[in-house]
Parts: sequence; structure tokens; C-alpha cells
Amino acid sequence: MSSDTVPATVYTDATRAKGEVIIELDSVDKYFGDFQALKDINMRVGLQEVVVVIGPSGSGKSTLIRCINRLEKHDRGTIIVDGIELSDDIRNIQVVRRETGMVFQQFNLFPHLTVMDNITLAPRQVRHLPKKEADDLAMELLERVKIPEQARKYPGQLSGGQQQRVAIARSLAMRPKVMLFDEVTSALDPEMIKEVLDVMVELAEGGMTMIVVTHEMGFARAVANRVVFMSDGQIVEVGTPEHFFTSPQEDRTKLFLSQIL
Amino acid sequence: MTTATSKTHRRPPFWRDVRVLRVVGQIVALVAVALAARWFLTNLITNLNRSGIRTDFGFLTQPTQFTIPYFTTFNARSPVWQMVLVGVKNTLLVGFLGILMASVVGLVVGIARLSTNWLAARLATVFVEFFRNIPPLVVIIFFGAAVFTFGPLPILQEGIEITLPGSSNNLLLLSNDQWGIPGLVSQGNVGAYLVVLAVGLAVAVGLWVWRTRVNISTGAPDHRVLWFVGALLLFAVVGYLVLGGPFSIEWPSLSENRRRIETGFAMNWGFMALTGALGLYTASHIAEIIRGSIQAVPKGQTEASSALALRGFQRYRFVILPQALRIAVPPVINQFLNLVKNTSLGLAVAYAELAALTQTSIGNGRPAVQSIVVMMAVYLAFSLSISLILNVVNRRLQLVTR
Amino acid sequence: MTASAERAPVLPEGSALGWIKERLFRNVWSGAVTVVLIPVLIYVGYRAFVFIFINGQWAAVSRNLTNFIMGRYPRDQTWRLVAQMMLLALAFGAGAGTGSGTARDKAEEAGLVYVPPTLAGTLRRFWSLIAFVLVLLVMAGSTGPWLVAGAAVVLGYVGWQSWRLPRSLRMLSWLATALLLLAGFQVVSGTDGMAWLPVALAVAFAVWLVVPVERLQAVMRPVVSLVASLAAAAVVFGVYQVIAFPGIGWDQWSGMHLTLWWSAIVSALAFPVGLLLALARRSNLPALRYLATTYIELIRGVPLITLLFMGQFILGFMLPAGTNLSSISRSIAAGTLFTAAYLAEIVRGGLQSLPPGQAEAGQALGMAPTTIMRKIVLPQALRAVIPAMVGQFISLFKDSSLLFIINVTEFLSVRGIVHAQPDFRVIAHAETLVFVAVGYWAFAFAMSRESQRLERRLGIGER
Repeated sequence: MSSDTVPATVYTDATRAKGEVIIELDSVDKYFGDFQALKDINMRVGLQEVVVVIGPSGSGKSTLIRCINRLEKHDRGTIIVDGIELSDDIRNIQVVRRETGMVFQQFNLFPHLTVMDNITLAPRQVRHLPKKEADDLAMELLERVKIPEQARKYPGQLSGGQQQRVAIARSLAMRPKVMLFDEVTSALDPEMIKEVLDVMVELAEGGMTMIVVTHEMGFARAVANRVVFMSDGQIVEVGTPEHFFTSPQEDRTKLFLSQIL
Repeated sequence: MTTATSKTHRRPPFWRDVRVLRVVGQIVALVAVALAARWFLTNLITNLNRSGIRTDFGFLTQPTQFTIPYFTTFNARSPVWQMVLVGVKNTLLVGFLGILMASVVGLVVGIARLSTNWLAARLATVFVEFFRNIPPLVVIIFFGAAVFTFGPLPILQEGIEITLPGSSNNLLLLSNDQWGIPGLVSQGNVGAYLVVLAVGLAVAVGLWVWRTRVNISTGAPDHRVLWFVGALLLFAVVGYLVLGGPFSIEWPSLSENRRRIETGFAMNWGFMALTGALGLYTASHIAEIIRGSIQAVPKGQTEASSALALRGFQRYRFVILPQALRIAVPPVINQFLNLVKNTSLGLAVAYAELAALTQTSIGNGRPAVQSIVVMMAVYLAFSLSISLILNVVNRRLQLVTR
Repeated sequence: MTASAERAPVLPEGSALGWIKERLFRNVWSGAVTVVLIPVLIYVGYRAFVFIFINGQWAAVSRNLTNFIMGRYPRDQTWRLVAQMMLLALAFGAGAGTGSGTARDKAEEAGLVYVPPTLAGTLRRFWSLIAFVLVLLVMAGSTGPWLVAGAAVVLGYVGWQSWRLPRSLRMLSWLATALLLLAGFQVVSGTDGMAWLPVALAVAFAVWLVVPVERLQAVMRPVVSLVASLAAAAVVFGVYQVIAFPGIGWDQWSGMHLTLWWSAIVSALAFPVGLLLALARRSNLPALRYLATTYIELIRGVPLITLLFMGQFILGFMLPAGTNLSSISRSIAAGTLFTAAYLAEIVRGGLQSLPPGQAEAGQALGMAPTTIMRKIVLPQALRAVIPAMVGQFISLFKDSSLLFIINVTEFLSVRGIVHAQPDFRVIAHAETLVFVAVGYWAFAFAMSRESQRLERRLGIGER
């Protein structure tokens, strides 16, 4: 599945060491009212690493990655993204959001803008890229995700798989250091899942640091460096894909895997 | 793997701290509003004092110094707060009857719009599209001026009596500016009778619940409407007899000079114009809502109920109308609220509702600020009550979802 | 009248007799209704015909047409009204044309088909207005009004040609439309009195939309936006004090002219206030939420007439002694307070209907809250509630009749002028009232049709 056409560091900063810790979570707790969604989460993610998070629904996987870009606010513990701590400091929050990209289950494309405008909106408004440069960047990314001909269409005219690929391109346009994927194939019809996964595989091989919440075990086996299993707000087991699928340790892990494999 | 350098736990500078900014933002807003309010109020009090107008609410106990037409119990020496009560009573009277009229007419017209009879549907559409697009004030003035004052009805020197056949009692009296219909007058024990009615209502509700349970457990027809109505009637009739007739009918009759209506329930032309106009105007809105809500019930419901062999009337009663009503009730109650607010247009036909009386009172020298505040407070009370009812009804009607 | 399940057309489909049976006599109930309604309709139709064409004393209307249209407006300044009509016709034409051009461009790019409006379609859409204007022209009798109407139509068509402009000139075209609207307003109102207020507000709002504050620190952004808007408003105010173009301030506007402008001015003033209220009501800051909610619930709980009374009797006292606002200015203030609360609820509905994922996507991309609001949330939310906002405008247009009660001479009150004339003291009350009703109806009906059409085109309510 590896391709020779994508250089291994096109999506990352080649001057930095592979594996350098870029995301740190220490003793993170998160409550929704009385319900504790995250319990004592400790996690380190290194540069160019692909971490796949799996678990039953309600286990806190989405909450976890939404805390990383401050779409949810964690109640205890520390979250540090590329040396910047997520706190009540507005500037920190903005910087972290610029450096992380998120792709949503519901795509969340802006329906009133063309595909092109969707992708160039943030680079122009946040990074103050001139229009020409932003447009060139958008076309380059659309070619990467293999739908350059849709540039002037509206999201409503695209299929689900195409919309999700546009969403990925939109996040890539901000040149994030880390990409967060929140169950991005769960809302797609089966025949469209592959095209999105192919794009994600290409991202992984291009050196992007990725945290992927998903049910797609094939993807995990293909490109994940590490698989994290969560249940009831806790990280239950961590390991390489081979370890996970051949010899899981915990009972909860075995139960979950028996249900989905 | 090397660990990244992490900043120590340090509070961010306050101008970037989210929590600080939230609090500061709110304080700024509150202070701005308070300052503006204070500026307006000081101006108000200063200017009022300078003009020698009083700034308290004492005017409520002073005599009104004007009379209200058609209200013989009210004279120029009655205190202002009584005038307010008269205004409230009249507003509620129009409101209540207007709501009744609007509901009935609106329901009929709304369903007629969906009728298969082309004439009925078209006429209903014309009715709705006409009344919805003209101002209620125009409708009111039309009824008031073009129908009653300058209109086709002849100017009567003395009242016309329409008597019940076989007796000397009048069913309907038409005079120049009033119509009389039979009214109810109390003979005493009214309070006790109301208690009896309340008890009867409770019993009727209890019977309703019991019959519903019987139907659920045994499948026998519940006839609960019959039981409910029967119980209510029983209590009403027995209570009436036992208490020695707390109410009696007062037939309308003319005064000595046969120009005014003395007894019975006299409706003056302003009242009729206002109620009729608002009834029809609001009915057009309600008809639209009902039509929309019936059409909003998904088509699959009709198809499914047909597939279950439910006939037309049963389909409507068990499947379509309940769902349509859920959708219709909140906007319809909103229209009721609008009707009550629109009674304030009674000024245009000289009907003595609250806004008209307030305007007259201010014209007679009562302090304007306080009068208007009192008037707004009353309307606010009406609105908030109706909104409360709306919220309660809304909650009961919510479909139970996961 | 019930939807019966039985269907057995004996007569061939499509024939006249078949239609009659199906639509009028399908079952017993339907037949009974038809039998009752037809004689009633015939009688009513007969009476209406007699009233309109035979007995009706329409002289009360035809001799007072100028009164109905412009009320007490000084007659020697009529040229201003004519000029205004010309400028506005040009402006509306240009606005429609530019909008059409933009839609055409977008459709082309997306590969969709754009269907331009046809003359026949336009005539059908606005038939009530066209019919009313024709009735007025026929009643007027003289050729002057016909020429004016004709010139307006021609200018409207000229403005419509702006759809042919190339994309690069589109912005200029919008600017030209806005300037034409402003000129139409100015040619009558002049630069004295309160004329600066709506213009200053419009400019301030436009500045707030456009000022690029993203490069600044988060705290400075709202402050700079506010300062820039206020500065722009102050500049407009200053310009208006310096330039002296005398006109007829809105204190002297009257009749149908006032009705239309009052509704437009109040809507324009109420929109930014309502928008701010809606944002405040949905804000995370409890203080803002409570303030906004209290205001909205208070205003929505009282009838408009009480606010008009407040404007008449109380507003004068609340301002520093010596400020003298005219009746119309006060009514505009009261109407603005009133409409802002209702608009706030409408906008709030639009904001609530937007999926939260939209704002989240903007946040995930690192966009600032104001950018998210301006580029993502508001365009979608406002577009979704355009029909409701048009409905509010229609409501306001009808409510302008309440100015009658505070002795402002708008369209309905002109009847007072007419029936004070010795010839018409006791007759023709129904005729004038019918005329007024038809006037309101023609506008309101056309607008409500447009709103329904917009709702269909914007695809609202379709799942």
C-alpha cells in the first residue's frame, strides 16, 4: 500500500526529528455536569506518528480529540500541543487551533460557499494569504485529494465521499502540524469509504501526524503506529496494531474486538 | 522520545484570559445599560417636575372626571383605578368572545381550504388572503363606520323588538347603537354554585379517567364523552335547583322612551364592531395555521392508516388531527395573544377598553407616564399569562422521543 | 367536505361535466355545500358589482387621489416626489439586475442552469400592485400620472440592464444601487433634520461588516470595530451638517408616501438593533442574555399602540429639555423599539437552526469568533430567515395604520381629510374605506407572494 510518488515528509516539517513529542496529555479529566467523560488520560503523541483510537460509543474518544483543539474544555490536567499549553489564554487557544486540523463526521462544509472558497476561507482570513496564493494552494490540495474538477461547485452538489475529501483539503490548507479525525467515515455510504481512507493513507505516508478515531480496522492495520483502546473514559490498552489484533491483554479489549471483528 | 518543553502552570495575562474577559465584558454591558437608564430616568423626573406634573401613582385614587358611555355604574367621581378595572373587563370580554369566534371560524375555513369541493376551497382561500393582507384597524373601522355608523342599517328612532314567539319576552333588540340579547343576572348563592360546578368538573374528570381505564383493560367502548358531559350536566342542573336558582335569565327590554336598552346584555356598536372585526381577522390567520398543520402531517401517515383499514373520519380523528393539533397549538395560542393585544385598537370605534380609557384619561389631565406604565403592566400581565399557558401546553404536547 | 375514499367518475376525465361532478358534487356533503354557496355567491357578486360600478360614489376617491398619495405634503414640492420615484425605479431595477447577474455567474460556475425572470412571469408575480396602479391611473384621468408611471417603468428597465455588466463591475453596480437609493431618499428629505440618522446607521453597519480586525489582539477587536463604526457615523453626521441641501424632512411626509417610507425606515433602523439583540440573547454571558431576554419579552408583551403612546407622551420627557422631536420621529423611535424585538426573535430562530458543526468547523480552522460570525454563521442564518423577515415587514406595513391613532397623517388617516370636505361629510365612507383596504391589500399581497416564492427558491423547509 505504500506509494512511491509521495515523499515521506511532504506533510510535516522535515527539520524536526521524527518521534519528537508534539502532543502531551497529563492526567486529563473532563466532566459533563456530573458525568465524567475522561478519567485520568495520559498520552504522548510524537511527530509523524499515526495513532488510532478505538472503543465503544460513549467511551470518550471524540471528547478526547475535541479537547485537543479546545472544542471542549478539559477540567483537570494539562494538554500541551507543540509546546503550547491549552489554558484560559485566548492567544494560546488560537495558536493551537491554527496548528491542528480537524475533520468531522458530518463534514461541516460551508454550504453557501463554493468548494474553492471553503478551502481558501481560513488561509485568507487567518494566515492572511493573498487570494492568488490561496487559490493556487487550494487547487494543489484538490489535486492531491483527486477532485480538482469540483473546485467551483457547491458542497450540495457533491457526493458524501467527495465532500469529506474537500473537508480534508480544507484542513490541510492551514498546514497543520497535527490532523485530528473524528469518525470521518461513519456517515458515508460504504462505496465511498475507500476513497476517503485512501486519502488518509496517503497523508500518513506523507509524514502527517494523525490522531484518528475510527471503526475502520483495515486502516488501523495498514498505517497505524499505535492503537489506543478507550472504554468508559479511560485508556484501557495501548499497543501496536499487530499486538492488538492478535493478542489483546485486557478483558474489555477482547470483548470489544470480538464485537467488531 | 524527548519530551517537549512545557510551560509551567501560569495564569495567562489578564487581557488574554478568557475567564477575565467574560466577567469584564458582562460588567461593561451592565454598567452601560445602567448608565443609560439612569440618564433617561433623571431627565424624565427633572422634566416632569419642571412641568409640575406629579411623579407618583397617587392619581389612581383620584376621581376620573369623565363618564364612560354605556356604563351606568361608573360616574365622574369614580376613582381612576375603577376605570382601569372597567378597561380590563372590557378587554377581556372582547378577547374571550373574539377568541371563540376566531377559533370556530378559523377551524371551519382552515378545513374548507383543504376541501375537495372547489367552491368551498376557493372561497376559503379568498377569505384568508383578503383578511390576512389588510391591517386589522381597517377591518375594525369598516365594521364600525361602514356597517354601523354610516352604513346600510337604517337610523332607528326607537328600538326594534324581535320577540320570542308565544311570549312577550324579547329575544333580540336592535336599537340605534346597541343590540340587546338575553343576559344572566345573579340572584344570590353564585359563589356556592361555582363551587358546585368545580366539584362537578372534578367528578367528570375522574369519570373520564375511569372510563379510559375500563376501555384499556377490557376493550369495551368507553363512552367517556357521554359520561363526562352527563356528570357535568347532572351537577349543573341539581346544583341549580338545590341552590334555588342562583342565576336567572334577564330578557332585554327597552327603556321608557324606547331608545335605550335597559335590561339584558347590551352590546354597544363599538363592542360588536371590535369583536366581529378581530374575530374575522384572527380567524384568517388561524385558518392558515390549521391548513399548514394538516398539510404538515407526513403523507405516510394517511397511507399507513388507509392500509390499516381506518375509514376517513377515523383517520382524521385518531391519526391526522392529533398530529396536526400538536403542530398547530403553539402558533394558534400566539394568535390568541395577538388578538388580545389588538383589542387596544378599540380606540378607533370608541369602545371603552383599556387603551381607549387610558387615552381619554390622559386627555383629561391624568399624568401620562404613570397611566401608560399601568396600561403596559396590565397588557404585560395578559401576555405573560398566555405565554405561560402556551409553555405548559407545549410541554404536554411534546411527543415522547428517545 | 370530507376526503372520501370512494371514486367512481362515470363521465370521461377532462370534460367540463366531469370536472363539475368531481369538484362540486363528489358526495352528498359537497353537493349540499355547492347548492348553498352558489346563490349566496351570485347575490354577493351582484351587490358588489352594483357597489363598484353603479352606485358607488367614487368621486370621493378620484377627487382626492393626490391626498391619498401624498396627504399634506406641500404641493409645490411635488417635483421632489417625482424625482424620488424615478431614482427609486432606477435603483430597484439596478438592484434586481445586479442580483440577477450575480446569480447567473454563480450558476455558470457551478455548472447549474440559471433561469432568468421573464416579463410575463414578473407581471404575474406583481399583478396586484400593477392592477392597483392602473386603477389609480384610470381614476386620475389626466395624462400627467401616466407619463410619470411610464417614465418609471422605462427607468426600471434601464436599471435592469445592469445584469449585462461583467463580473469585475459587479461591486460598482451594487454601490451604484445603494447610492441611487440614498439619492432617492435625499432628494426629498434634504440634509437637515433627522435625515442623517438612517444614513449614518447604514454606513456604521457597513463599516462594522468590512473593517478587517483579525490582525489585532482578541480584546482589541470589538473595541476597534465599535470605534470605527462610531467614527463613520460621526463623519456622516458632520457631512450632513456642513452640506446644506434643504428638503422636506420626514416630519412633513404624509399619505401613502409616508406609509411606505415609515415602514422602510423603521425596518432599516430595527435590523441592526434586532441583530445585536439576537446575538446577545444567544450569548454565553448571562448578563447579556438576561438583558436581551427581558427587553424582548417586555416589548413583545405589549401592543404597538402602547409604545406609540409612550413615544408621544413620555419620550419627550426622557430627553434633555429643549430637544423637540416631531410626532413622526417619535413614532419611528417607538416602531424601531417594537420591531427590533420581533426581528431579534426571528434572527434567533435562524441562528438556532444552523447546525453547531458550522461554527465548530470555523473554530477548528483557527478562525476568530467575529470572522466566524461574519463569514459563516450570519450569511447562512440570515438567508434562512429572509421569508420570516419579509413577513415582519408586511406586518409593520400594516401596523403603520396605527399612526392614525396618534394623529399622524398616513394612508388611512387621509380619510379624515376627505370626509372633512363638505361634499363628503356623510357619504362615501364605505368607498374610501374600500379604497384604503385595497391599497394596503395590493402591496401586502404582492409582498407575501414574493416571500412565499423566496421560501421555495431558497429551499427552506425542504428536507
